[in-house]
Amino acid sequence: MAVDKEELKQKILEFATKKAAHKSKMYIKDLYKADPNASPREVKKAANELVKEGKLEYFSSGSTVMYGVPGFGKGVEEAFEEE
Amino acid sequence: MADVKKHDTPMVDDLKSGPWPSFADDIEQKGLNGKQACLDLLGQLELSYKHKETHWKHGGIVGVFGYGGGVIGRYSDSPEQFPAIAHFHTVRVNQPASKFYTSAFLRKLCEIWDHRGSGMTNFHGSTGDMVLLGTTTDQLEPIFFDLTHQMGADLGGSGSNLRTPSCCVGKARCEWACIDTQDICYNLTMTYQDELHRPAFPYKFKFKVSGCPNDCVAAIARSDCAIIGTWRDDIRIDQEAVKAYVGGELKPNAGAHSDRDWGPFDIQKEVIDLCPANCMWMEDGELKIDNRECTRCMHCINVMPEALRPGTDTGATILVGAKAPILEGAQLATLAIPFIKLNKDDDYENLKDFVDKCWDWWMEEGKNRERFGELIQRQSLQEFIRRAELKPIPQMVKEPRSNPYVFWSEDEVPGGWKRDVKEFRARHAA
Repeated sequence: MAVDKEELKQKILEFATKKAAHKSKMYIKDLYKADPNASPREVKKAANELVKEGKLEYFSSGSTVMYGVPGFGKGVEEAFEEE
Repeated sequence: MADVKKHDTPMVDDLKSGPWPSFADDIEQKGLNGKQACLDLLGQLELSYKHKETHWKHGGIVGVFGYGGGVIGRYSDSPEQFPAIAHFHTVRVNQPASKFYTSAFLRKLCEIWDHRGSGMTNFHGSTGDMVLLGTTTDQLEPIFFDLTHQMGADLGGSGSNLRTPSCCVGKARCEWACIDTQDICYNLTMTYQDELHRPAFPYKFKFKVSGCPNDCVAAIARSDCAIIGTWRDDIRIDQEAVKAYVGGELKPNAGAHSDRDWGPFDIQKEVIDLCPANCMWMEDGELKIDNRECTRCMHCINVMPEALRPGTDTGATILVGAKAPILEGAQLATLAIPFIKLNKDDDYENLKDFVDKCWDWWMEEGKNRERFGELIQRQSLQEFIRRAELKPIPQMVKEPRSNPYVFWSEDEVPGGWKRDVKEFRARHAA
């Protein structure tokens, strides 16, 4: 069942902000946990909209892209450490 | 006025002494003509040779607005020593299908890059993009604006995105192309713009399209989804041309090996005996082919292009899961669909249906940084077949009674079965 996009965006933002306090970069799979009822495509679309709105930001190593919350930042090496 | 060399680089300079033109020469020339970044780059390279480790840091939040790919952040870890490459970001630009350019396009691109970047390029990266090497963060948006507004070009893929699809020259120049590789490549690029520019997947995903089984873009070894042109009817034979090859009037391999004398052409030794399916023979002076046994290796067609041609009922073979050895090992693709008709008029709907099913599964089940082929390995080919809604076929069975691919589930067997795992493990250690 399709979830409400604005509601999903809010859940993702809350989840990401909470998580960013101790781990500033997240894989898209981490964001799936924000709403288990949402499909991966819905989460992807909502997360990418949040980036456009400036509420999340991309962090790319070149081979992988992670999501971060502006203001929460760590060095490149730390961010790409294994979970 | 030419600049002077900034750094002492004996090890890099040594590369110029070989018989072939060296990148060190090219970069130095560019540096001496005003690009300080090139001179600093050679200086840092010398330092890396000395320390036997890289002095680049890569990754970061750089990019252009709305895009999650196409720019790879790169920084020197010794910016005081090499200030002109403190920021040295890479920009990937989506190449046109089959890499056909006008000289005006290339000239304009070089002008933009000389103006806004280091002037150094890499034509092309292994995925196929035009790679612009080295610029600063403040130049990224202007470069993107110029590319899109002046050149009609777009950024390519990077990160956990769909990577820039690529294809062989196809029907533009090759008589063997069984599919319109350029149209398919362009169609996939335009259909999946969101996946190309914004992260969607656990890791990278590559499409490569080859027009025939010669597979000139090496799709079978390098792409998560290989689309390779093929045919399902008979190889077309011109018996008169076969006789001309046998008689020496036509040169085998279109004369490609004529730089030395290999002796007279021997069709038995050079074609028939080399057929991997043993499905060719000569009968009453004519070449015969048992097309049912043909594996489309293309060898006979390559050797005698004027005598043999692919059939006319053409389509594609779809293979999935190839990758280079970054994580795990290198992996060749696995056959998914032996033959599929690809129809421009229906927008390649059947191909895209298949791709969407693969992506749904991968997005749901793939681990972080797990390629599609690794997911198949981890969860089994049987699970892939189920999720892609394919029918198991004999080609997926490795050998009778010991195949690792197709297993019956209880509900597929009349009467089912009872299985006591504990009892089994009492006799067989895990």
